[in-house]
Amino acid sequence: MVSFQIKNLSFSYPLGEGKALDNISLEIEKGEFAVICGKSGCGKTTLLRHLKPALAPHGKREGEILFEGRDINSLPQREAVSEIGYVMQNPENQIITDKVWHELSFGLESLREEPCRIRLKVAETASFFGIQQWFFKGVEELSGGQKQLLNLASVMAMQPKAIILDEPTSQLDPIAAAEFLAAVKKINFSLGVTVIISEHRLEEVVPLADKVIVMEEGRSISCAPWEAYSLLKKMGNPMAEAMPASVKIAAEISESGERERGEKRLPLTVRDGRLFISEYMEGKVPAESGKTTRFSEKKVPDAVKARNLWFRYEKNGSDVIRDLNFSVKKGTFHAVLGGNGAGKTTLLSLLSGSLKAYRGKITVGEKGEKLKVALLPQNPQTLFVKKTLLEDIEEGIGAKMSGEEREKTARRAAEQVHLQNLLSRHPYDLSGGEQQKAALAKVLLTEPDILLLDEPTKGLDCWFKRELAEIIRELCEKGVTVIAVSHDIEFCAQYADYCTLLFCGEAVSTAPAKEFFAGNSFYTTAANRMARLFFPQAVTNKEVISLCLASKAKA
Amino acid sequence: MNTPFASLHPFVLLVFFLFAAGFSMFLMHPVFLVISFICAFGYSVYLKGKKAFKTLGMSLLLVIFAAVINAAFNHEGFTILLYVNDNPITLESLIYSLAAALMLLGVLMWFSCLNEVMTSDKLMCLFGKLSPSIALLFSMTLRFVPRFNRQLKKTVSAQKSIGRGLDEGGFFTKAGNGVKILSILITWALENAVETADSMKSRGWGLRGRTSFSGFRFDRRDGLSLAVLLLLIFIISAGIAVGAGDAKYYPAIVFPEFSFFGLTIYISYFLLMAFPLIFSLTEDFKWYRSKSKI
Amino acid sequence: MSRFEGKSLKSLLNKRTILSFLIILILVPAVIAFGIVFLDDRKYYLISLLIILLTMIPFFLSFESRRPSARELAVLAAMCTVGVAGRGAFFMVPQFKPMVSVVIITGICFGAESGFLTGAMTAFVSNFFFGQGPWTPWQMFCCGIIGFLAGLIFGRRPLTKREHPFVIIFGGVSTLIIYGGLMNLSTLLSSVMTINLQTVISVYASGLPFDLVHAAATVFFLIIALKPLTEKLYRIKIKYGLL
Repeated sequence: MVSFQIKNLSFSYPLGEGKALDNISLEIEKGEFAVICGKSGCGKTTLLRHLKPALAPHGKREGEILFEGRDINSLPQREAVSEIGYVMQNPENQIITDKVWHELSFGLESLREEPCRIRLKVAETASFFGIQQWFFKGVEELSGGQKQLLNLASVMAMQPKAIILDEPTSQLDPIAAAEFLAAVKKINFSLGVTVIISEHRLEEVVPLADKVIVMEEGRSISCAPWEAYSLLKKMGNPMAEAMPASVKIAAEISESGERERGEKRLPLTVRDGRLFISEYMEGKVPAESGKTTRFSEKKVPDAVKARNLWFRYEKNGSDVIRDLNFSVKKGTFHAVLGGNGAGKTTLLSLLSGSLKAYRGKITVGEKGEKLKVALLPQNPQTLFVKKTLLEDIEEGIGAKMSGEEREKTARRAAEQVHLQNLLSRHPYDLSGGEQQKAALAKVLLTEPDILLLDEPTKGLDCWFKRELAEIIRELCEKGVTVIAVSHDIEFCAQYADYCTLLFCGEAVSTAPAKEFFAGNSFYTTAANRMARLFFPQAVTNKEVISLCLASKAKA
Repeated sequence: MNTPFASLHPFVLLVFFLFAAGFSMFLMHPVFLVISFICAFGYSVYLKGKKAFKTLGMSLLLVIFAAVINAAFNHEGFTILLYVNDNPITLESLIYSLAAALMLLGVLMWFSCLNEVMTSDKLMCLFGKLSPSIALLFSMTLRFVPRFNRQLKKTVSAQKSIGRGLDEGGFFTKAGNGVKILSILITWALENAVETADSMKSRGWGLRGRTSFSGFRFDRRDGLSLAVLLLLIFIISAGIAVGAGDAKYYPAIVFPEFSFFGLTIYISYFLLMAFPLIFSLTEDFKWYRSKSKI
Repeated sequence: MSRFEGKSLKSLLNKRTILSFLIILILVPAVIAFGIVFLDDRKYYLISLLIILLTMIPFFLSFESRRPSARELAVLAAMCTVGVAGRGAFFMVPQFKPMVSVVIITGICFGAESGFLTGAMTAFVSNFFFGQGPWTPWQMFCCGIIGFLAGLIFGRRPLTKREHPFVIIFGGVSTLIIYGGLMNLSTLLSSVMTINLQTVISVYASGLPFDLVHAAATVFFLIIALKPLTEKLYRIKIKYGLL
């Protein structure tokens, strides 16, 4: 049974050049869990919106979309509303009313259900999602994860046959994201609802998927989840990098390995990846990992040093930062990791000087040295003032200079973050990643010596992450010290020089990135978790792959 | 806030406050004034504790202003107490202005109770069906305001981190930075509102016909309370119609003569005004007793 | 099905127009008559309060019967939020509030009806945070009618730069005369027992400094916000095809 059938769909926006969707043909079975992946701007959102008539974009459109055998545009409005659910990226923006119960009943009210039926359906939905504890609360009291769960639940209250999720976890921290995906999985497994989800954090969704749809420049290819990596790689699509580590490692090993592996499915989870490596390593001697390239033992001066820092927000509150000690070397990229409420953002505010510790001391630079500190806020939209990106960056120039000079400086700043081609756009018409970079450009105009980043990879796809890492590297080479707080283990493992784990306001450990992750057992990369039995020092996928391939059979 | 009276059906609450505030505004008879003020203040203390005194203090400012104007510019009345600039100040007008002050205080106290009791859920329940678009606009605004304030804090600190704090520079720099922050926020609010609109559309806003759901159910307790309230309101209205609430302050102070009928009206008025307090205290007592039995 | 729905809407719409007429032509005079016959001292207050409430109903009805789109509602909610939060942000300075200027700009960009609604809703919701009182209906009406007039006078076509001074003057005058005038009237009717020339003068005179500050605030906020804010609103209108 087919849920969605897309036949030769092409679409172009009224003002856009070229086709946003180019002759797409797809089938999604009833009850299927389909993951759509592709770099941002590849047409994912455009495609998904076409599947929900109320949200279909305006523009020139050819081809046909059938929902359960009927043309989607001829569906009666009520059916189109109730049977196809849609959840968007930003949990905040989607919430309409001020109370949880009202939010849950909103769709049902539109569908003209009787209040007594609404009562029942809302109760059912709330119980299914475990919302009853906060059923009567105001929306404002919920956490980000709860808000997104509420959005999902409010759509599910209408009992749709299919639901479409457009990067639903990109604004959530890893734990909330995992919870959210568990709820999506539950809907799919125990209610049989068709799920179509687009994500850039693929590690967690691909294992759940029945089908992966790869999109590139308006075109799409469907494949099985364990084939997606090879396919993406063959296409040269950067999204290959976002696939689960297990499938990446397994694919690389079996491709270049001397042994034929036949038609075996590649592992998608850490558990299966571990088995895969154990199987592969059977009868082999694990290769010695080369000396970890340590940061030059040369004495690098500290850019920031915090000694015995204590901080609390309220006089009688509990301490958010307690007895924190850590130091950051000049010109390095230093990542601070930690769970929610570990005090990461507070630490940044202390370093930037907008909060003051009540005990302890922060020294910036050496004696007599004056270093400028700047902070890139988590939400780039807190910085945009003007109508176009160019004007907006110009606006950020503090010093007095002539108009021409201003423009030159602004253009230089845009180049620094690879945005030179988008200068005439309205900042809000940029994608999330571009907004992040634009904000970075504005912050860089203050010419900081120490740059603080608050969750810089939140909501970015792996393409932007790589670009961001490049920008950070360039800055470090110029002598800027970069300190980032992040949830993103893989990003930090790959690009950071040093890492610090923050727990309950304390810096539990600080070490060069490799050592740091090799030493941890939970808080480490998927590659390390898979291969640690054989190669405890290997942290990144590349290392694991090369070590596996270097291992020789026992004599 | 879920005190016993406040947990009644919103419609019952609406009827009560409409008439409580309404009667308090128009009845100038001192007995009614005193009853209304005491009950309103009592309930306010029950709801808000110490904060009720603060509200009272704030209200006094307005009341004193009104009282002064009333006493100073009204020269009717027989009993002249003194002359100010050739203008007589009379005993009657003095007493009348005190009565007016008490009236105002009573009304303000009732409104402060209304503020505590009539939460947005209850307003939605009352007006959601009557006017879905406006009720939704109300609910959405309530949802946006705290969000806006949160974003305001974020924006202020973000601007500060690029050297545009609200505490730097002279007055004009500060004001300029403030305006910039507002401008950023307005763009943010408008651009993000559009996504909210998409969410509304995808959940069927705009389909013809719309029901209105609220968690409130009109049960037996609500019915009984409403019946009692309506009975009291009827008795009082009848009393007012035959002049039990009349009070003349000019040219001389004249109140209706004391009668049994009058007393009935006073008692009914007291019962009406004290209804929230009596209801709440009885329920609290019941709870306390059932608890202590365990 | 949809045909049936269309029909019922049409009849509903008629009902609403009829209701508006009934209110203006019958209920308002009835209220006045009732007040004069039955009430003594307090008649003016009751009459004025009821008239204020009744006159708002047709505005609400016409908005409701237009069945506003999701985007329109969301944008208006955002503007109400700006007004409410603006009042909150300046809570330290009495009367120096940007509320009226936000309402005027909304009226200009989104039309008279939306202006009325934004004004009334901003006043109502802000009192939800700062305390309702007998003044609530008055404030709702004042803000609403200013937004309505702004939309009526300036809202017919996109605002040109040459019209800006007129809008600013309109803002100052309307705040002083409509808002100040009516709010003082409400004070007068609600708390002053005998209406004579002296009490009227004293109430208005004591209110004047506050009204002047308020008018100055409106002028001030219009001077700085009129251009950027209308630009932002026009962009939203064009980008999302509103109205």
